[in-house]
Amino acid sequence: MKTKLLIPILMFTALAFVAHAQTVTAQPLNLQISSSKTLSGTAGDFVAVTGTITNTSSQQLQGVTTYLSLSDNQTHKPVDLEDWSAEKGLYVGTIDAGATLPLNWKIHFVTAGDYSLIIVAETIGNPTPQVSEITQFHVAPKKNLNPAQVLPVALGVPILLVFALFLLAYRRKVDE
Amino acid sequence: MKKSLTIWKKELRGEFYTWKSMLWLVIASLTFSLTSYLLLTNKELSLLDQTELMWLLSKVIVGIAFLVTALDAASIITTEFDKDTAENLFLSPISLADLMIGKFLAVLTLWAAIFLVAIPYIIVASAGSGLTLAFMGHVALLGTLGVSAFTVLIFALSLLFRTGKNTITTSLIALLALGIPATFASTLKNDPVSQLLAHVNPMDAIFSSLDNVLVDYHTSVLQNWQYIVAVVGFLAVSLVFLYVSTRIFAKQGIVKND
Repeated sequence: MKTKLLIPILMFTALAFVAHAQTVTAQPLNLQISSSKTLSGTAGDFVAVTGTITNTSSQQLQGVTTYLSLSDNQTHKPVDLEDWSAEKGLYVGTIDAGATLPLNWKIHFVTAGDYSLIIVAETIGNPTPQVSEITQFHVAPKKNLNPAQVLPVALGVPILLVFALFLLAYRRKVDE
Repeated sequence: MKKSLTIWKKELRGEFYTWKSMLWLVIASLTFSLTSYLLLTNKELSLLDQTELMWLLSKVIVGIAFLVTALDAASIITTEFDKDTAENLFLSPISLADLMIGKFLAVLTLWAAIFLVAIPYIIVASAGSGLTLAFMGHVALLGTLGVSAFTVLIFALSLLFRTGKNTITTSLIALLALGIPATFASTLKNDPVSQLLAHVNPMDAIFSSLDNVLVDYHTSVLQNWQYIVAVVGFLAVSLVFLYVSTRIFAKQGIVKND
């Protein structure tokens, strides 16, 4: 009885392993980053992340989508790309067998810090997405206004005016 | 002219004598402080170039000035009607022109006070850009022309309405009607109608001129003539409107029979 049950379980497990192995080994897409692996700049700067996507399989691939994934190296949390890139994803569509297509993103450095960017590609019918190598961003803070000049004025002028008003009120009281 | 100066001094005493009457100036300075603080610390705003920050600050200065002077202009004449002092005032040997000039100078003094308070902010925001004098000069020129035009327009409305409530409401609506489209991005002004409106809207002309000076470095008056002409044109139209409303006022008499 045990043997009767064990054989189908083993067969099922083996089939699952085979299916999984086929999924893992079948990597029809290849993502390559052609821009520098480390991009540095000041907050507010724009940089270009370029790369290519290649269909390494012998069949045409349909419904190919690529998108960016950015994470903060300090907090280890994903970053909302809303302000960083106008195009979070690029719909590639169909790629012929063996064909290579360019990928190009214009990235706006928003906040100072260190970040990791990867490009993710997924294809309809392929449950495993593919990722590119990591591009490191080093974003330096941008200071247009000098805080040492602005803050004394921002605090000082209202305080001076309030002082002047008190003086005015006091003078009026003395006059009366 | 002497009578105008007397009225001006009397109005100034009312405007600046008590601490309550000057509290708006503190609030204006707090608004400039808050703007400067945001320009320094806000994630999105701090990404802008210094010239863009200066342009933003210039719009806040002009916007605050227009709001304060519009409210003052809308009440400075109508208060005489609301408090029933108009009859006595016009029976005294003061002409309508003297009264208008005196009150006009009082409103311009408020603008001068706002500009004086704004000067430290202008200096620190433009430090290192080489545009400090151009910043100050164009804000002073365009602000004075704009405030003058709006004040004249509101005086004309005051003589027609003779009530503070209606004049203030209409003035604020007029200010918003001209001010809101002026803040739209240039990409929203691509069609011919929007472009025509942008050319005749004095607020749009002021903001565009400040953009031309502070962002595009076109700092001379000649390089901004088309914007200045638009504001001067608005002032001329307001003066004609005031002339017409004074004629109507004189015809109706001090005590209006509705």
